[in-house]
Formats: sequence, C-alpha cells, structure tokens
Amino acid sequence: MSMRVDIDTDRCNGHGRCYDVAPDLFDADDDGRGVVVRADVPPELVEQARRAEGGCPERAITVIDS
Amino acid sequence: MTTRGEFVRDDVVEVRLEDMSPELRALIAYEPNGALDVEVPQTAIDEVRQTMPVVRWEMGVGFFGMDDIVAAGRNPDIGSVVMGMGSEDPLIPLQIDGDLHRHYRKLLDPLFAPKKMAALEPDIRKLADELIDGFVGDGHVELHDAFCVPLPSTIFLRIFGLPLEDAPFLISMKDRILKNEATTREEAEVIGQAAGRELREHLQTRLDERRVEGARHDDLLDQFMHFQVDGHGLDDREVVNIMQLFTIAGLDTVTSSLSCIVAWLATHPDVRRQVVAEPDRLPDAIEEIMRFESPVPSSGARTAIRDTEVNGVPIKQGEMVYLCWASANLDPATFDHPLEAHLDRVDNRHIAFAAGIHRCLGSHLARAELRAAVDQLHRRIPDYWVSEGDQIQYEFAGVRQALHLPLSFTAA
Repeated sequence: MSMRVDIDTDRCNGHGRCYDVAPDLFDADDDGRGVVVRADVPPELVEQARRAEGGCPERAITVIDS
Repeated sequence: MTTRGEFVRDDVVEVRLEDMSPELRALIAYEPNGALDVEVPQTAIDEVRQTMPVVRWEMGVGFFGMDDIVAAGRNPDIGSVVMGMGSEDPLIPLQIDGDLHRHYRKLLDPLFAPKKMAALEPDIRKLADELIDGFVGDGHVELHDAFCVPLPSTIFLRIFGLPLEDAPFLISMKDRILKNEATTREEAEVIGQAAGRELREHLQTRLDERRVEGARHDDLLDQFMHFQVDGHGLDDREVVNIMQLFTIAGLDTVTSSLSCIVAWLATHPDVRRQVVAEPDRLPDAIEEIMRFESPVPSSGARTAIRDTEVNGVPIKQGEMVYLCWASANLDPATFDHPLEAHLDRVDNRHIAFAAGIHRCLGSHLARAELRAAVDQLHRRIPDYWVSEGDQIQYEFAGVRQALHLPLSFTAA
C-alpha cells in the first residue's frame, strides 16, 4: 500500500491552500500555483495530504491510494 | 431529461426583479436596501440558496451553489463586463478574458506571490503597532476607522510606491466609484465614471513624477513601468488602468475582511481566547471566519461572452452571470454544518477569494495582512469586547463589513 499526491495543473488557480496546510508535500511556485515537492506520502503526512485534498476549492489535488 | 435525452435542470427558478425578496435583490442586484445589514445574514443567504439554487431573471442567470459556481468560475465562456468600476476601458485583469487575461495574470501573479507577500509581515506588524499605539491607552476604540481602514490603505500605498498623503483621495474616489448617492444604475455609472477619470488623472500625475525623477524604486509602480514581455512593456494607459483596479480591489476588501474577523472574534470570546492562547491556530480561524462571513459576497456582474452552459444550465451570449461566493460558502453539499463556524474545520475549501480564472490576485497579500494584523492586535490587546451600551453595525453593500466596530478593552 502506498499513497501519493498529485496536482491537476489545469484546475489549479493558485488559491494556495495546499502549500498552506501541507507544507511538507507542496510548495508555491513563483506564480503562487501549487507544486508537489514530495509525491509519496508517509504515514505521518497522511493528514496533511487529506487536508490538502479537501481544502482545494478547485478540487485540483488528488490523493492516490494504491 | 428532454425527449432528446439532454440533461435538464429542475432547480432553475425564474423570477422578476420586482418579485424578488429584498434579500435576493440585495445580493443579485446590489440593491442597498439594508435587508442583509445584520449580524447574521447567513440564515437569509442560505435560504436563498435552498429555495433558488439557480435564478433566472431579466438580466441573466445567478448561481448560489458551490458546484455550479466553481464550474462557472472555470468556464472560459464566462467573462467580465465593463461596468461598475468607473472606467470605459475594461479594467485589467478582472474585466479581461481569454489569452489576454492569461497574459496579464502571468505578469501580475509573481508580484503578489505568497513568498513575496510573506516578506511584508514585519512591516504589517509594525504598522499595526503604530495604529494600536494611537488608541491602546484609551480603553476603547471604534476599530473600523482607527485600524481596519488605515492598515490596508497604508500597506497598499507602500507596496505601490504612492505617497501616504494620497490615502484620503484614493479612498474617496474608490467610494464614489463603488457606492455613490445615485438612485439608479445609470446615474451611478455616470458618477462612477467621473470619479474614475479623476482617479486616473491623479495616478498619471504620479507616474509622470516618477519619469521625471528617473530613479528606480523597489515598488510595484516601478515594476509596472519596467515590465518587459516579448519585448513589450506596459504603456501608461495600461499602468494607470491596473492601478485603478488595484485601488478599487485592494482597499475595501481587506478593510471589510479585517472588520468582519475582529467583529466575529469580539462576539465569540471563547474562540478569541483560544486563538490568543494558541496563536498558530489563528490562520485556520481566519479561514473559517472568511468562509462564514464572506466579506466579498459575490462576483458582481459577469457576462457570457459566448453561448454556453454551466452544469446543464444554458446561458446565452450577452446574458449576465452572477456568482454568489457567500452562499457557496454555506453549501451543505460542500461543508458539514455550514451554518456553524468551527475553528477546527478541516476541508475548508471556501471561495471567499473567488473561484476559477479570476481568483483574487491579491489573496496572498490579503492573507498576509489579515494574519499579521490580527495577531499583532492580539499581542497588544488580547482581551476585547463590544462596548457596553453600543453595538456593531454591519453594512452589506458591495462588501460586507462591520462599519461601526466599538470595542472596549483594558487600557494599557
């Protein structure tokens, strides 16, 4: 079982919630859009991943559980 | 479903302006009737969304649900209309569409990027302190005028590189553009246009002074004057145009947000005590209050620039499109117990800063200001309450704000 995060860049409009609530997984690029800095999600970052997914107004963040 | 198998919405309510409730007219027509000038407008706004999630009226279509509004915000066929901001030219970037809009946002987004705005924190705190020094010894203050107006105005002027003495003029022009004494829309537009012209003349003067001076400055005016994209810079008209939009967009909005946040904390002492005791919970609290209060309640008029549809609702080219962020932020399809403000809310995907391609360019600046200003206020004045014998007066006009915010506290 492994968990990953992903950003749909077409949906992203730079609200900035992901890097605000999940700073260990996401960062802001120079335009303020989200970038994934760490795609794999260890157990201690699962909460951050879920908060980022649930906090994006454009639903641009997905958490993939495989 | 129709016989052709098309998906047809069954929740579109057709209503004429004259038959609308005052609350709906206050929202969709920006009618200054006072119906929502209350401490808790959320019940009425939620009622509108429940009874009419989509409204079709003489001027176009209004959306009140989160899902529809996010879809509309993303829809490139829905652009802006040149109206209501004191300019005959579309204001950049809000009233621009398509590739041109993308081009301007590409220029402007980096100037307002989160890391850049975070660097302003010490200045914001220092300014907050200076303003607080002015009343901390009194034991009481009307905070809207003493803090919520001057703080964002001063930051704005500094970032832009305009002299502080311009503040009263800019605020007065912004007020004349956004809410003048006219009784009809047409009249309001005429007064607004005149104020817009005066504003642009003044901004042009400042631009000219810079040119004559010839020196470089570390501010936005300098950046605008020296932009280069594909060998092209911005001409004076564009620079003044952008500055006009920012004057309108950057003053009222942060003032109203700041006033709503502090007013809410003043009337919810348990939460206020929590965030004072645990300041790192303040950002979450601010997000939740922004969701609940939605100081900028809606998009204003947008327009369908082509025939289009939003989740099965057809919109004809030229029809007005109204998006109510405030009602979306109370949508139970998105938020658990939306009519309760919870400090600990997770999954707070609110759209108080709008949704879609016109997401508020200044949102990172606004957040930096709100967080630093409220935190600094709490450091200096941790315990405040609504002054006895007085009460908070809310105004729901283009923005929702605590226009009269009388607070008492232990004098320092």
